[in-house]
Amino acid sequence: MKENLDRLWEHWITQDLLVIGGFALVFWLLRRGARNERWQRAWQRMKRDRGGFIALGVVFLYLFIGGLEMLRIPGGDNGTRSILDVFTAGVAQEKTYSAPLADELLNSPRHEKLIGRHLLGTDVLGKDVFVQTLKACRTALVIGALTSAIYVPLGALLGILAGYFRRWVDDVVQYLYSTLASIPEVLLLVAILLVLGKGLGTMSIALGVTGWVTLCRLVRGETMRQTERPYVAAARALGQSHRNIVVRHLLPNVMHLVLISFVLGFSGIVLAEAVLSYLGVGAPVGTSSWGAMIDSGRSELARDPAVWWNISAAATALFILVLSLNIFGDSLRRAFDPKRG
Amino acid sequence: MSDGGGGMIPSALPGRDRSVPVLHFAFILSGLLFLAGCDNNPHPAPYHKTRPDGSPWAVRYMGLPADPKSFDPQFVYTTIDQQILEPVYDKLLEYDPRKTDPITLRAAMLEEMPKKEVQPDGTVSYLCRLKRDIHYHDDPCFERTGGKGREVVVADVHYALQRIADPKVESPFFAPLEQRIIGLHETREMGMKTGKFDYATPVSGFEQIDSHTFRLHLKGPYPQILYWLGMHTMSPVAREAVEYYDGQMHDGKLRPSFRFYAVGHGPFRMREYIPRRAIRYERFEGYHTDTFPTEGFPPERAEVCKKYAGKPLPLFDELFIMIVPELIPGFVLGRQGFLDSITATKDAFPSVVTPDRQLQPKYKARGMTLERIGFPSTFYYCFNMNDPVVGKNVKLRKALASACDMRAYVEIFYSGVAPVSNQLVPRGIYGYNPDYVDPNAFDLEKAKRLLAEAGYPGGRDAKTGEQLVITVNDAVEGTEMRQRAEYEQRMFERLGIKIKIAESTFARVIERLETGDFQLSSGSGWAADYPDPENFFMLFYSKNMPREGSNHCRYSRPEFDRAFEQMSTMDNGPERLALIEKMNAMLAEDCPVIWQFDKVTFLAAQPWAAWTHNSRMIEYSNNKYHQVDPVLREKLRAEWNRQPIWPLFALGGLLIGGLGYAVRWNRRNHV
Amino acid sequence: MFNYIVRRLIYSVFILIGVIGITFFLDNMMMTPDQKASRVLGPKAVGQTREEWIHNRGLDRPLPVQFVQYVKKLVTFDFGTTWVTGRDLRETFLQGVGPSLCITVPGFLAALLASLGLALFQVFVRNSPVDRGLTVFSVALMSVPTMVYVIFAQAFLALNLRYFPAYGFAYEPGMLRFLLLPIVIFMLINIGYDARLYRAIFLEEIGQDYVRTAYAKGVSPSRVLAVHVFKNGLIALITLVVAQLPKLILGSLLIESLFGIPGIGSMLVQAIQTGDQPIVMVSVFLGSALYLLSLIVTDILYALADPRIRLS
Repeated sequence: MKENLDRLWEHWITQDLLVIGGFALVFWLLRRGARNERWQRAWQRMKRDRGGFIALGVVFLYLFIGGLEMLRIPGGDNGTRSILDVFTAGVAQEKTYSAPLADELLNSPRHEKLIGRHLLGTDVLGKDVFVQTLKACRTALVIGALTSAIYVPLGALLGILAGYFRRWVDDVVQYLYSTLASIPEVLLLVAILLVLGKGLGTMSIALGVTGWVTLCRLVRGETMRQTERPYVAAARALGQSHRNIVVRHLLPNVMHLVLISFVLGFSGIVLAEAVLSYLGVGAPVGTSSWGAMIDSGRSELARDPAVWWNISAAATALFILVLSLNIFGDSLRRAFDPKRG
Repeated sequence: MSDGGGGMIPSALPGRDRSVPVLHFAFILSGLLFLAGCDNNPHPAPYHKTRPDGSPWAVRYMGLPADPKSFDPQFVYTTIDQQILEPVYDKLLEYDPRKTDPITLRAAMLEEMPKKEVQPDGTVSYLCRLKRDIHYHDDPCFERTGGKGREVVVADVHYALQRIADPKVESPFFAPLEQRIIGLHETREMGMKTGKFDYATPVSGFEQIDSHTFRLHLKGPYPQILYWLGMHTMSPVAREAVEYYDGQMHDGKLRPSFRFYAVGHGPFRMREYIPRRAIRYERFEGYHTDTFPTEGFPPERAEVCKKYAGKPLPLFDELFIMIVPELIPGFVLGRQGFLDSITATKDAFPSVVTPDRQLQPKYKARGMTLERIGFPSTFYYCFNMNDPVVGKNVKLRKALASACDMRAYVEIFYSGVAPVSNQLVPRGIYGYNPDYVDPNAFDLEKAKRLLAEAGYPGGRDAKTGEQLVITVNDAVEGTEMRQRAEYEQRMFERLGIKIKIAESTFARVIERLETGDFQLSSGSGWAADYPDPENFFMLFYSKNMPREGSNHCRYSRPEFDRAFEQMSTMDNGPERLALIEKMNAMLAEDCPVIWQFDKVTFLAAQPWAAWTHNSRMIEYSNNKYHQVDPVLREKLRAEWNRQPIWPLFALGGLLIGGLGYAVRWNRRNHV
Repeated sequence: MFNYIVRRLIYSVFILIGVIGITFFLDNMMMTPDQKASRVLGPKAVGQTREEWIHNRGLDRPLPVQFVQYVKKLVTFDFGTTWVTGRDLRETFLQGVGPSLCITVPGFLAALLASLGLALFQVFVRNSPVDRGLTVFSVALMSVPTMVYVIFAQAFLALNLRYFPAYGFAYEPGMLRFLLLPIVIFMLINIGYDARLYRAIFLEEIGQDYVRTAYAKGVSPSRVLAVHVFKNGLIALITLVVAQLPKLILGSLLIESLFGIPGIGSMLVQAIQTGDQPIVMVSVFLGSALYLLSLIVTDILYALADPRIRLS
């Protein structure tokens, strides 16, 4: 039974449906949010922020590339391949390192010719660094998306509940997050990863379990502020159910915090992956990831001649994504809260 | 420069005010730039600058990749720990520093090589005489002599043997030795009667003749016992030290446990151990056990060796072992002259060694010499013969073996210099057959054919159509191992099967090997305890199953066992070779393992630390024979580490210019 | 105030029990007693030795009993020994604190000064292109992984220019050479985040009435900034600073291990890589205990710095 489930889970159609579903969900949430007046005002302000827009464009580019690598179709050596594989099918596989745009292997005494040209050179196993860098978008996005899928609902829900019901609910939630917050984050991460084993999924669970605290605190505070506003009191007086008040009134008014945390949190997750790779609990073998590429650069830079293209490509790709996310997150925050930005 | 930088900025600001914090910023930056021109020596100052006679104090700097697990000679079994222990404890016998082919033993703490005596009842004994006047290092544990190290006597060898039998010591050598030495097994049984090992129980096979002579009685012929005498596990240990260093509180002070405190009799005494950083040793003044040999030098080293002929050992005064888990700083430090040799690890390899196995001209020009250490060891993938899929399907195993392209592997990870292995016994050990042809050697077409015959045409189960999935037990710690694992994955997946890498730490991989929780295990290997084929073939002996033994494949074939039993105690000769050949054929037929490669370590020795010996059994220790020229080192180090100054000026200029520009621009547009 | 502290302490104890509960849970999930024994004794030790080891440590008792033991062990600071290296844990920690503090304290102070300076400067030129440029610069500093800082610094400054040792540490007069590069990197990592935070704090202050009053009285802008705003922002700063202190003791994992500084950070990395579980567990406990303590200290300092605040 479990085997069948595993097989179903690993089937390319399931995986594609999940990816498409994920994108659709985010889109739907944004559409729902856009109905809110506050969001519309923010959107007006956002329009004037050129930097934020450029950053958003860059993030979309990464999403697009990552999406291409995430969607799988039948074919290839191993049963399935990604759409990105189809596009890069023409890129040759070399024996080992070669410099960017070189025509022979690095350090090859016999001056062995390359099969193709490589914009950013090749890595130790002869894979094109440029393609690997693009493929690694998927790893970053998968971890970011899965982690967010865990910590965003958890943090938002607990935060709202604590802020709305107060009393013992608040006490319990506060106790939970004070406990988690008091544990040094990396250690908790590593401890959880050591228990669950390696893998993108487990890494996301670990990051999600440790990551909801900040969001929860924010949402709790905002909810408390909102519940003191007259509209909540009015809704209560009208005898609306708790569920209705939370979903109809409170949730839309704290969603912007969730959105901002989601964007900024995403950048933190991408950075965390690099650290975890070094600690040996990062992405599994066979998955390209910026963290692993950077980690390998540690020794490659000391080679003679130095292999700088691998680490530089990964570090640049990672840097641009994190920077864009941060800038975009900041401009979102400014748009929603112009006084404090 | 710092004044100019600091003074310029506030003047350009509106409202000159001294407390403007930009000052701090500029100050810190310029301070850093100033301090940047400091020394890049990674080592602390040595214990002394000069020897008592005024000549320069000589320090040897080595790098090792990991912290020691123990300093207990009866427990230590990893090569790293052995190297750390080697300067502190001498051994009864040692490998001759001058001879490698064949590897030969010579007397170290013993007066001469043990005399073999065959008793009428078929048992064998060895008569050994300990050298006189060998002393322990001074240590507070020698309370009777007021801290002065006492003489090493035969009772200490006996005590070491008892410690091997003591379950508390957890000596991994008890199992192999109890089969050979008379009374060792009984000592453990008797000693354990009260629940706690009783050291009043003697080992009946150990006969003390006088304070410096003893006889070791064996159950039968076992020529390999001499190699055991050449290991740390048989090194004499002072009972006072073990009892004194008990890891308990005494008068408000915690004494370390003997596992982490070494009181030896070797050429150096351990002065400091700083975890994750270094182990520091200083010359033991009372060391008179040995002198530098006077003749028989290998011709290529004769010039260096002649200088030291007959000199008292050790040749240098201080040993600094740096713990460098990051292999690359090790390479960098070597290149800058801060370690006495550069070990050619994967990424350092092409920089140090040319494909025709010479030193790169760049390093040759520096006066360095290349050392090739073919430490007798072999690496292989290990099938679990109890596994329902791979264990029962010999064709499948052979298919995987034939798909294994080790030539390309070695090409990528060892620049093609490590020899690909095709048999169990590595080069340099008796029984190695250079003409042997492995029937399971790399041949992708054949592999695909075999896979189809095994019931998985194209990598899919012929009956169900499911893709075959094989899980590989693999240690992935760090980039290099990750790259290797990825290579392995792709290598086997060419057959159309799916390879799942069960990544874990090295410790966990070993654990899985011991418990049998694996299908195919990568990177298994065996480093010779002693240079005898028996030490390798026992890996497939069915009475040597884990956890007590090391037959991790769980290979079992009665014919093989019979041949092994016959071969193990035999003297070298054509008869033994014939048996070895037979066993090799059996292994090829059943294919319980896939041969990978023999480990070869290359290292480039610095010009001031040219090697004086050819030892192969201890990877790169044999510290007492090493020499160091501190004067030359000082000179070359300074030469190699000149620091260019222009980047500082460039950086400073850039900063000042940038800040100035920003401020001006701001004033024009804003104020 | 005394009552308040007592109440906070009691609450902290409850949180600590929660933390211990989590570590205990993870500890027992990670490995069975048998696996633990195997990790400590080596995979070869079987039978009696193994059982004895398990029994001596009480690992064969029911879980609630083990939990009580576990709490007792941690609270009395009797941590036992490490698994892989077999050393006394308490001693190992004490040995590691020194080198860690050598990096983190100066690095932290440098980051504090630099980011305060940057933040005040930004507030001074607020909403100008320079301010915006510096904000982007801070964000950029935050967006570089620590690994990349260390790797490039090592490659260029230690390997090519030979200004610093690539690796190493020692307590001796010239020890600054080992510390400088790690300290600078520690500073760079923290500067971006801190500067943004401090800027926000100062901007908040600058909107307050008293600042307007000061301006109206004709105090010069830089004096307002340096004296009034800084002084009042200081209270918010204390909270941030004190909350960072426990982190300093635990050191920096990446910097320490990549530069070979034998502090607690590199010890943790080694423990993680070799699977030396007790080290990880004990550091979790110590880290959270220190964190909770620092929270209480912050509150007290807060009350002392601002008489308007009354702890209750």
